[in-house]
Amino acid sequence: MVSLCTSAVAVLLVAYIGLIAVVMSYAALTVEFSQSVRNDEAAVASLESAYLAGVARVTDTDYVAAGYAKPVATTFIRAQSSTALR
Amino acid sequence: MRAQFRSRIRLILSLVVLVAALILIRLYFVQIVNGDDYAQKADRQFSSGGSGLFDRGSIYFTRKDGTFISAATLATGFLVAVNPQTLADPEVAYRAITAVASSSSVAVFSYDAFLAAAAKKGQAYIEVAHHLSDEEGKALAAQNVPGVQVLRERWRYYPGDSLAAQSIGIVSYGSGDALVGQTGLEATYDGALSRSGDSLYKNFFAELFSNVGNLLVNAKDAREGDVVTTIEPEVQTRLENDLAKVTKRYSSKESGGIIMDPATGEILALASYPSYNGNDLHSVDPSVLGNPLVEHVHEFGSIMKPLTMTSGLDAGVITPETTYNDTGCITVNTARICNWDLKPRGVIPMQQIILQSLNVGASWIATELGQDKFREYFTALFGQKTGIDLPNEGRSLLGNLSKPQQVGYDTASFGQGIAITPVQMIRALGAIANGGVMVEPHLVRAVRLNSGIERTIDWSATTPVFSATAARETTTMMTALVDQKLEGGKAIIPTMSVAAKTGTAQLTDGHGGYYTNRFFHSFTGFFPSYNPRFIILLYTNDPQGVEYASETLDATFLDLVHFLIDYYQVPPDRGLATSTSSG
Repeated sequence: MVSLCTSAVAVLLVAYIGLIAVVMSYAALTVEFSQSVRNDEAAVASLESAYLAGVARVTDTDYVAAGYAKPVATTFIRAQSSTALR
Repeated sequence: MRAQFRSRIRLILSLVVLVAALILIRLYFVQIVNGDDYAQKADRQFSSGGSGLFDRGSIYFTRKDGTFISAATLATGFLVAVNPQTLADPEVAYRAITAVASSSSVAVFSYDAFLAAAAKKGQAYIEVAHHLSDEEGKALAAQNVPGVQVLRERWRYYPGDSLAAQSIGIVSYGSGDALVGQTGLEATYDGALSRSGDSLYKNFFAELFSNVGNLLVNAKDAREGDVVTTIEPEVQTRLENDLAKVTKRYSSKESGGIIMDPATGEILALASYPSYNGNDLHSVDPSVLGNPLVEHVHEFGSIMKPLTMTSGLDAGVITPETTYNDTGCITVNTARICNWDLKPRGVIPMQQIILQSLNVGASWIATELGQDKFREYFTALFGQKTGIDLPNEGRSLLGNLSKPQQVGYDTASFGQGIAITPVQMIRALGAIANGGVMVEPHLVRAVRLNSGIERTIDWSATTPVFSATAARETTTMMTALVDQKLEGGKAIIPTMSVAAKTGTAQLTDGHGGYYTNRFFHSFTGFFPSYNPRFIILLYTNDPQGVEYASETLDATFLDLVHFLIDYYQVPPDRGLATSTSSG
């Protein structure tokens, strides 16, 4: 009887310690994962910022100042077929 | 002896069970009952001292190919706090902080303010710098300066800086101690964007024991999410760039513009100048934080004439072939109404009212319509708010249409004496482009919920105002204006029909009259004329040294038209085998 109880307590104790270890590991991983997600989001935001700045720079380009001349005339033609099968 | 041994064993076993029970009870309280509090405390050891890490959903632009670009997101970095009680040498600490915090986005205390903070020996925690990057924060932490703490921080970040700032809005502290959306979409969609703070910090086991229902079906996941706008970042950039150029060139008080899909009400770009940088609000004039395109009303001038024309055509009081005798000036209720050049045109058809922008002609249509019919049409067009998803939408001022004097109706027919918000104006003009039906202008297409479901917002409600025939007849007149009159006929695009109308209104002097030398310029147009994909509304307020909108906004409108045709590869709707236009 005593040995049975001792075994039961031992099993419970081990299970309890194991449970604590799992919960602690899970919590640590969750926090780490959450921070990792946020860091990735910040990195993406940085790339997006660079893209939007690039769009703004291109839009603001003064083509005349860059050496390009305005065309004297514009000719409108029908678009050619762009398929590979000609 | 054996019995004594047994009783001892039982006693020890009871003690073990008791201790285990106590530990279990304590663990229950620590992990389940007070779990959130301890999670917060744990976070604070690596985050700011005041509260948990800031969390909020993102707002996205939608590119033409359907990809998302963040308009508002979160940036992660570090803040620096000092403990004056343990700060040994404030000068050394300040030098260490400013040495690493070199990027322009970092907000650091001035030297004097830092020394003043360091002198507050009664306090143990004062934040002295924000928005340090990961590298900067780690470099400072590695120095281990006594009394200086480097803590994790997260803040709202707008990757486009000033791009669509007035539409996206800002977050700030309101009446409570939480950051909430104050203007723009940040305010309108605050319920979807705000976070309760524990979405990624859930303790699965605690949730399993305490809240199985929420673990499986979380009510917050059906409410919280990211907001997907209809704003196209490259179109928005182009519009903002063009408006800035016009404003600077003519020293205008302000300029604004909207580009919308007239069939769906999706707004591709909505901008005004001046605006502000959402990442740097320290020196912002509070008056630019709102959205003038939604909140402010203006007398738009002659871009109202197409609406008067369509009303007359729809009511059947005129046809495109109807003629009238234009005398150049008329007197109505003792007020004198004249054409812009004061010249009479004689007997002319309706199309000339649009082509030559004749005030006398528009007044003639208003008289033919009669006050009741005119009021009915204009109340249908402007009597209600548009319902756009931006806060503080203004109401139109249509008081003159409640009075018996005919002069109020005549002036309203060419856009004076009644004041409308720009978003109301583009919605009404969109009816001409959309077969006589008004749509709901909007900036947000959907909310992407945390559950993974995309909740599309229903903007399908429409308001029929005109018949499709009346709208088409006015469109023909507006198209003729571009082909024959705009820039002396040089603006014609041989392969694309474009409908447009300019407007010039005198500004009110605040004493019931009008300035004779200060103007509000407006311009509207849509294309392809008979199956439009885009409608554009532009205005510039009080430009200097020019009188007519055809001088200020022609180039801007045409630049946007050509840009949109190229960018969206809009196929020709008319055309010639080969046609040439002088550049």
